[in-house]
Parts: sequence; structure tokens; C-alpha cells
Amino acid sequence: LNKMSDKQNAQKSAKIAAGAVVCVESEIRGEVTIGARTVVHPKARIIAEAGPIVIGEGNLIEEQALIINSYPENIAPDSEGVEPKTMTIGINNVFEVGCMSQALKIGDNNVIESKADLGRNMILTSGCIIGACCQVNTCEVIPENTVIFGSGCQRRVQTERPQPQTLQLDFLMKILPNYHHMKKTVKTTSAVTPAKN
Amino acid sequence: MASLLQPDRVLYLVHGEKKIRSPLSTLYFCRYCSELRSLECVSHEVDSHYCPSCLENMPSAEAKLKKNRCANCFDCPCCMHTLSTRATNIPAPLPDDPSKTTMKKAYYLACGFCRWTSRDVGMADKSVASGGWQEPDNPHTQRINKLIEYYQQLAQREKLERDRKKLARRRPYMPLAFSQHTIHVVEKYGLGTRLQRQRPGAPITSLAGLSLKEGEDQKEINIEPAQALDEVEPLPEDCYTRPINLPEVTSLRQRLLQPDFQPAGASQLHPKHKHLLIKRSLRCRKCEHNLSKPEFNPTSIKFKIQLVAECQVLLTLTNPVENITHVTLVGCEEGDPEDINSTAKVMVPTKELVLAGKDAAADYDELAEPQDFQDDPDVVAFRKSNKIGFFIKVVPQREEDGDVTVSFKIRHDFRNLAAPIRPSEEGDAPTEAIWLTHHVELSLGPIIA
Repeated sequence: LNKMSDKQNAQKSAKIAAGAVVCVESEIRGEVTIGARTVVHPKARIIAEAGPIVIGEGNLIEEQALIINSYPENIAPDSEGVEPKTMTIGINNVFEVGCMSQALKIGDNNVIESKADLGRNMILTSGCIIGACCQVNTCEVIPENTVIFGSGCQRRVQTERPQPQTLQLDFLMKILPNYHHMKKTVKTTSAVTPAKN
Repeated sequence: MASLLQPDRVLYLVHGEKKIRSPLSTLYFCRYCSELRSLECVSHEVDSHYCPSCLENMPSAEAKLKKNRCANCFDCPCCMHTLSTRATNIPAPLPDDPSKTTMKKAYYLACGFCRWTSRDVGMADKSVASGGWQEPDNPHTQRINKLIEYYQQLAQREKLERDRKKLARRRPYMPLAFSQHTIHVVEKYGLGTRLQRQRPGAPITSLAGLSLKEGEDQKEINIEPAQALDEVEPLPEDCYTRPINLPEVTSLRQRLLQPDFQPAGASQLHPKHKHLLIKRSLRCRKCEHNLSKPEFNPTSIKFKIQLVAECQVLLTLTNPVENITHVTLVGCEEGDPEDINSTAKVMVPTKELVLAGKDAAADYDELAEPQDFQDDPDVVAFRKSNKIGFFIKVVPQREEDGDVTVSFKIRHDFRNLAAPIRPSEEGDAPTEAIWLTHHVELSLGPIIA
């Protein structure tokens, strides 16, 4: 019983690493871990309903983007025996304005363009670009450096991966705090504080 | 606003060479013939060429030389979007001191839609932003040019002989410029588009040109006939067993957009120059007046002359002109040859409907006197400035799954405000009204059981 309550109390709020810039107007619900140098714009939504979300470093999550770890459609939220699955997002990804991602595993250096829609059973490796307004809902692993574009979701492979948006990230990390309030980051503690009796 | 949002609901019948039914928004109105014209009963003429991305005008002769392609802009071979030039900084050794390196700008082409870059096909980065990109040469260009020259000469010779025969026959009469057949021959080998479309009564300058050509000594162009080969290259042995690399295979559309090479592999898809678009002007075939003439400047979407039907013809009983207009609706009689599409009988109001003129200031003029038309409430549902709503009774004839269509004729008076200047005799009435009749078909939608 103790362990259960510990687990529940362990992470009710988002764990934001130092160096990440997360605006107060963004909506973060559930167990979310955000890595360093990640920028979360206002009105972005990261919702961990059916399990925790772990976001790596150097990601750029723009306005009205929705990253949601939700229950699959045929399973009711209250049913027993549903293991919470963790959604992992790697480093240097870009979630452009208005996109929606439910994919459980996203690698590094991917770009999900505006109004794209990723299903739950997709796995992005690295260097993938999901074009604007493309809805991809298949159950597959997208190979590296794939570009999905067009109204028919055509695919092609590009020879080089998209560049990480370091310039843009640096710019935003300087400018955003001038105009928005930021969410508090968690200070990294080197030693475990002893529990007082 | 059926004209904008549901264009196919109200169709007007155009009496041209073919009977065409189309919505008013696609029709033109020739005010000299006082008739509706559709795109099929006007002649289309090319006004000017321009590039859709850099909006640069190009004179027709230059366009023909460059095969109607822009010199600066490229199309992505993968998705046919416009390519944009991007720059990167690369370290390059200084010419004076090879050990030090400075940053130099290198340019490459990239597509914003499918992320294709010129580096994908192995094209090296250029040091100039524009003008450095060349299309690969077609190895067959020389042979093709020689063949074209030979056939052009052949066509000219045939045309000369044919017209000589025609002249000899028609000596007693006025000689006509060209026969229809010679025009087709000319068109076949592309000798020139100016030679087509001889207007009736135009001077016969082309015959003078023929006699000049006879005087020149013509070069005899000989071509070698194509040689047929007995042996064909065999297919590679692993043709059936080799696994296909799907991203490398080009689609038919990508392949056929480059008819010179038609590459099967995506790593040989080179970008092509962008195709030019044209601005066209429309001319009524009967009276030879211009119906639509766009501005020359590619950035301007306005027209110098624009006789669009919506501005002249009555539009679902909104009065587009500024005079009071009288409208009579007449149902189609039995056996009317134009009445083929209607599936219901319609009873239209028999009285004449009066529409007020279009007054642009009416919305803002609060003190205006209310219009005093005595409207029969059984006929007129509402009236607002230059619009009127009226009742019709529809009796569907068949129990169909399709739409109910009714047709009737609208008869209204039309004043030609810009009539051609005629010498006025003793003070004519400024403009006379003429009565126009249009056959209208109205699609009312499906029957709800």
C-alpha cells in the first residue's frame, strides 16, 4: 500500500530540467519529464493520461501542438490490467504549430510539420519529416530519413537528416522569458537529503 | 449567392455553334451582339507570357526560343513545386594562402514541400545565387534539330505546290490566301502560328512572301534514315530476383515530365526550368470585338476590357445595372426544343416583375424614400434594394433519385450604355431598350420523401 501511494505521489507535476524554457501558458498534465534546452511555447499541450511522457533535450514544441499519451480507443480508462506505457521523445525534434502526436516512440532529429497527425502505433526513428496536414495512422516503424508529404502521404527518402534548430532554440531561450512567465524548473540535487524523523 | 458558392445550380443556355448550358459566372456578354457567349464560342488569343513564380514578362519570340520556360526558376523533379535557392557557409581555402580557410557561400536548390535538394542527385553547390544551374544536355538534340529542319522544308515545299495549283485554278476569282489543308500542314510542323486564323477580308500578304521564297536558293537538307538494329541489349540477369529499392523508383509522372531522359531512378532526376503561363484575351467570333483583355503586367489581375456576363445579365433576379428593369418569366412550352433537362413542371408568376436599379449608395442613405412598388404578396416574397424574391410552384413529374430541374425563360429589357458612337440625328433618345430572352435551368435539389 505504501508503495502504491508513493508511486502516485511521486510525480504529480511536471519535472522540468534546468535549462528548459517552458511557458506558463502551456498546459502540462500528468507525469511529464522535460529535458534541458527544450522550448515549450505558450498554448502547447502535453497531456500524459494513460502513462508518463519523457521528452529529451533540445526539442522545440510550438504553439497549439498536442502531445498526448491517451488510452487506445477500445479500452475504457478504468479497466484493470492496463499497463501504463511511457511515451518517449528523443532529442532535437521539432513539433510545429498545431500538430498532434500520439506516437509512443519518437527518435531524434525528427520534424513534425504543422497540423500533422501521428497515430499511437507509429514509431519514428530519426531524421523523419512528417509533412504538413499529413495524417499517418499505420502500425509501423518509419525508417530513417523518410519524408512523408503531400495529400496522398507520398514518401521519399532524403539523403541528409534535417538540421537541428540550434539557432532558433538559442533565440527563443533568450526572447521568450522577456515576454512570458516560465514554469519552475526542478533543481538537480547531487545528494539525497536525509529524511527527518 | 448561387453564383459564388453553388455555381451549377442555375444554368443559362448559350446559343452558339453548340448549345451550351453553364452558370452565369463562366459566361461573357457581348454587348455589340447583345448575346451571351461561353468559352467555346469565343476565340482565345495569347496576350503575353510570364513566369508564375518570378512574375517576369517574356516577349513571345524569346519564349518560343526558350521553349516556354523561365530562365531563372526551377521545378522540383520530385513534387513539381517551385525550388528555392538556399545558402550555406562552407570553409574554402583562400587563393593566396592555402593553409588558411575562410567561409564562402555555397548555394544549392531545395524544395520546401518534399525536402528534395540538388545535392540528392549529385549536383555540386554553386558559388553564384542564380544563373549557375544548367539542365543536362540531351544527347539526341542534334539529330532532332536536323530532322525538324528537314521536315519544315518539306512542308514548305508541299505548301508552295498546293497554293500554286490553287492560284492557277482561281485566276478569274479573288484568290483566297490559304486552303484549310495547308493550314493544317503548316501547323503540323510548327512553321508559325501567325499564318493561321486569317480574318475575312484581311489583306493577302502571305502570297507575296511565297514568291520571295522561290527566288532564294534553298539548301537541300538530307537526313540519314534511322538504322534498325538486330540485337537489343539483354536484360540484366538478376532482373527478376533483385529486390526493388522503392524510394529509388521514379513515378510515371516524374519520369514523363522529363521526356528527354525519362530516368527510372530517382538519383537521376534533374530539375527542369519552370514552365511559363500565358495571359489570354477572348474575342467574340461573330463581331470580332474583344470580350476580355487582361492587363499586360503579370502582377496585376485586373482587366482592360472585361465584359463578364454577371455585370450585364440579370442574376437570379438581382439587378446588376442601375436602371429599373422589367422582368417577365415565361414557362417553357410543350415541345420546346431547348427544354431537355427539366424534370418538373413550373408555374411562374405571369405578371411582370419590376426591379429597382443598383444603387451603390443606397445602404448608406438613411433618408432615401422607400421604393414604392405595389407588390402582389402572392407573387413577391420580399424586396430589398435591387433584389427581389418571388414564388414559383413546382410539380415534380417523375419520382427520381436525381435532382429536380426546372427550366423557364427570362425576358428582360437591357440598355446598352456603352453603345458605339453613331451620328445622332435630331437628338435621339439616349439609349433604347432592347428585350433579351434567356433560357434558364434551375436545379432545385433532391426530393425529400
